[in-house]
Amino acid sequence: MANLISRAFGGLNEVRRGLATVFKHTFREPITKNYPDEMPDLAPHFRGRLALTVNPETGDHLCISCKQCERVCPDKCIEITSHKSPETNKLELIDFKIDHGLCMFCGLCTEVCPTLCIINTNDFEMADYSRESLIYDLKKLTLSQDESAFYFDRKEMPLPKPKPAKPAPAAAGAAPAAVAAKPAAVPSVAAPGADAKPETEAPEAKAPADSKTVEVKKPEVKAEVKEESKPEAKPEAKAETKTDEPKADEPKADEPKA
Amino acid sequence: MFSNGDEIFKISRLTIVWLAGIFTIVWMVCWALGIALPMLLTQQLGDKAALTNEILRAATPVIAILVFIPINAMFMVLIERRALALWTVRKGPNRVGPDGNFQTAADAVKLLLKEDITPTGADAVMHTFAPILFFAPSVFGAVPLLAAVTNNHPLFRVLNLPTGIFFVLAAGALPVVALVMAGWASNNKYSLVGGLRSAAQAISYEIPLVLSLITVCLMAGTLDLVKITEQQAGGILNWNLLGGGALTGLNNALAGGGAKALATSYFMGPISYVCAGLLVISLIISFWLYLTGACAEINRIPFDLPEAESELVSGYNTEYSGMKFAIFFLAEFTNLFIVSSITTVMFLGGGDNPIPPYILNNIPGIPQMVAAIRDSYFCSTLHIINPETFFATLWVIAKVYGLVIFAVLIRGTLPRFRIDQLMAFGWKRLIPLSLIVFIIVVFAREFVICHG
Amino acid sequence: MATEIQEIDLKTDEMIINMGPQHPATHGVLRLLLTLDGETVKHVEPVLGHLHRAQEWQGQNRTWFQYQALIDRVDYLSGMFTSWAMARSCEQIDGTVVPPRAEYLRVMVSEMNRITSHLLWLGTYLIDLGAMFGFPFYPFREREKLFDLFEEIAGQRMMFNYIRIGGVLRDPKPEWFDKLKRFLDEFPDRIDEYETIVTQNPIFLKRTKGVGILTQAVAKDYGVTGPCIRSSGIPLDLRRTKPYSVYPELKFDVITFDKEGDTWDRYMARILEMRQSIEIIRQCIDKLPSGDIMGKKQMAGMRIKAGEGFAAVESPRGILGCYVISGGGEKALRFRWRNPSFCNLSVLHELLKGCPLSDIMAIFGSIDVILPDVDR
Ligand code: SF4
Ligand code: SF4
Repeated sequence: MANLISRAFGGLNEVRRGLATVFKHTFREPITKNYPDEMPDLAPHFRGRLALTVNPETGDHLCISCKQCERVCPDKCIEITSHKSPETNKLELIDFKIDHGLCMFCGLCTEVCPTLCIINTNDFEMADYSRESLIYDLKKLTLSQDESAFYFDRKEMPLPKPKPAKPAPAAAGAAPAAVAAKPAAVPSVAAPGADAKPETEAPEAKAPADSKTVEVKKPEVKAEVKEESKPEAKPEAKAETKTDEPKADEPKADEPKA
Repeated sequence: MFSNGDEIFKISRLTIVWLAGIFTIVWMVCWALGIALPMLLTQQLGDKAALTNEILRAATPVIAILVFIPINAMFMVLIERRALALWTVRKGPNRVGPDGNFQTAADAVKLLLKEDITPTGADAVMHTFAPILFFAPSVFGAVPLLAAVTNNHPLFRVLNLPTGIFFVLAAGALPVVALVMAGWASNNKYSLVGGLRSAAQAISYEIPLVLSLITVCLMAGTLDLVKITEQQAGGILNWNLLGGGALTGLNNALAGGGAKALATSYFMGPISYVCAGLLVISLIISFWLYLTGACAEINRIPFDLPEAESELVSGYNTEYSGMKFAIFFLAEFTNLFIVSSITTVMFLGGGDNPIPPYILNNIPGIPQMVAAIRDSYFCSTLHIINPETFFATLWVIAKVYGLVIFAVLIRGTLPRFRIDQLMAFGWKRLIPLSLIVFIIVVFAREFVICHG
Repeated sequence: MATEIQEIDLKTDEMIINMGPQHPATHGVLRLLLTLDGETVKHVEPVLGHLHRAQEWQGQNRTWFQYQALIDRVDYLSGMFTSWAMARSCEQIDGTVVPPRAEYLRVMVSEMNRITSHLLWLGTYLIDLGAMFGFPFYPFREREKLFDLFEEIAGQRMMFNYIRIGGVLRDPKPEWFDKLKRFLDEFPDRIDEYETIVTQNPIFLKRTKGVGILTQAVAKDYGVTGPCIRSSGIPLDLRRTKPYSVYPELKFDVITFDKEGDTWDRYMARILEMRQSIEIIRQCIDKLPSGDIMGKKQMAGMRIKAGEGFAAVESPRGILGCYVISGGGEKALRFRWRNPSFCNLSVLHELLKGCPLSDIMAIFGSIDVILPDVDR
């Protein structure tokens, strides 16, 4: 009997302590953030929407169409259309599509990109009404110069050097040539159809990879971009064969992590 | 001091504004129907209006309740969500309307507009009638409480019953039938288990609940709710919570009666004192028994087995949607409110002020204020405010919503019983305990002069 | 005058209830086929596979580099451990030496992950027991703080992809350690708070004490691991019984209980494990050496030498093993996971037999099964 009473009181006391602990929370700051009004403070390395950067200083598009990201993506959600420009013998980007409905934001593509072109932004508000609108094309993906500068700064990525530093992918056998090609590297990055003003290009970019359209268009674009790239005689070997490329790009693959 | 001052401010403001709003609306409706209209009619028609006035007066309390219940349930849902948010370090509703205060109104509209689904194979008639049968008792069960909580206001006195508490309990026992009906008619096994659980639970917990209330009625010597409240007038020591009037002698002594008052009340000397102590303990246990039983009766955590979400999906209301579900929802909160009101009336002195009058009347300013209100134009001519009712209602509101908040706090803390443990707890612990308390009270009250 | 009490033979039918996969309490998509007699469970049959995503097959069709990103999904509440198991088995084949700093970081992040996993379990378990509204939010609050830390180092809150073959992805900044220390300082108080609300609560005790007793014999038979078997009194903790990584250098004891484990013991084991993890992380912060964090180049065309390897880690749910056969190429020839949840789930029908309907969730919740881990 006494045991029963003491147990009853013990139990009630425990309940009281629990209630008191819960009640204490009245005076604690709520952990809820007023999300749409107050944006959360995300970590710089947060893996959000994918985007393509441009050189924050010059506005040149950084993608060199090496297709590393396309190949590494576990979900196969990147689709790159490029062609080899007959004049410069370089790969030129025509369109770049990422299906964000398929992407799982693993960030592998950003790890392998040799030019730090594709990055995960801190944006995560991508809800849309249809699956088609989740497929982002080059125009939607490319960041403005300011945004690129912001992300380069925030993610503490080394700024792309205006001239060398990133050798154009050279064929396995052409090491000396690659060295020689260094000066040409950046222009080749800048050259592809999509540069700092993607808006003007959107119609063409969306068109299928019809080399004719692109060729017609290219001169005007080039006129806007600095002219340095033209005269360089490219080492002809933009590594095209799939098997070779991973090896060729090995050093660059690590670079973002450096 | 508080890092959470903002939220506390919001919830207090919400409470005050909403409550003021609700009670003003309800009171204005009552006043217009029950006082202003009859007054006008009498002026215009003279004696011919007598019958109409009678009807109006009888209808007023019912209309008051019908107006009151939906708004109040909406408010209670909101206050529950806000309070839970406070205790779970969240912010609670904050999107619809200012500070999210229209959230429940929006929810109600949503529920009303939703498609009303009757599942295949369900008994359509029973399925439809179950929510109604669940809701109706809480409406008419609340009527006799009105006079008690408004300090016997003339407008609400009409519907007072000499067997008030009996009626309220009888009405409160009805919803079980509705739950079994809902469970059976839904053609869903989870619903069925939920409905049957609720029947078993309600039957077992009704006994300690009624026994604890009978203890109070025994002390009071009446079943009339108004009389029970009137007996408790005069400060916290007179309340049924503290001995059901056993401490009245002490109260009188403190009020100025001195040792003589003590001697009158506790006429047997030490035996009386011991009995008074026993009574106090018994009545506190009764109070706790009542709260427990009531929690089980209205299916609140920790006794929410009929709708145990983690076991039975949603129990008896699994198959309900739209309007019917809204009625279930409404009735649940109304039941909570009514249970709190009964507790207030039976144990917490109804509209009584916890501070005894001999202290209150000595505080400068307060008697004058009451007198000023009483003499004002509103009060004496228009009968809009009746000072007795006004202050009594304020206290009732404070007590009732205090209990509601306490129920929310319990909901935020405790896990749920298992059905067999619930039964064992009810039959092996609560019922014997309530019987023991009852017997103690029967004998102990002979040695103390209660309530005077 | 003794009246004979006649036994009336009421004909009662057994009721078959299909609990799940959309039931609010089955932690995902488990389907339980219950045979009930009244409210007593006669038989229970878990139906698996609603969340089968062919994780093993995917491993054979993705490169090592790609598959690393996918395996966090095997057990999404403790992604660090799945990554770790795979990384260890691949390192075993490859003979990669993981730098000590990386090893310490691995231990730290995975102990943090153990805490988050147990916190989620604690919250949902109380929901299973019916404390729907108040308590379950508190563990989630602490979990968020840890996730913020994870987000900083790994980039995401649950799909970390942080532990890589050969090391870890990123070296945390010094501020990160400060934040972690601050969290570790306040977290024990929070656990105390949980315990005040839950541990001795009479209703909680009633629901858990003596319920779902897992005897040692049954536990051994079914290959139960993790806190479940430790609370039954078998000190099986890979971190001690078959130490890996830097665990031998850290001071901690295996948590076991003397009695046969009931649901309350399993609860208590997890609470104690959280406290233990705090200590382990503290020791790691103190001992953290400087140096490299990656012992193998991370690149798209990464290859693992031919061979086969098996490595297991002690995940929050038990022993998580990963068996790999590599042909020396970019892809694995065969992947095989040994998932603790799967083995722990198999014991369910032994535990549930004869218990009331309400206890299904109390017992099922207490063995902390996570469905993607069961179905892969
Ligand atoms: S984040 Fe991952 S899934 Fe998304 S595009 Fe990049 S590699 Fe593919
Ligand atoms: S890896 Fe970078 S540079 Fe190469 S194609 Fe992708 S985005 Fe362009």
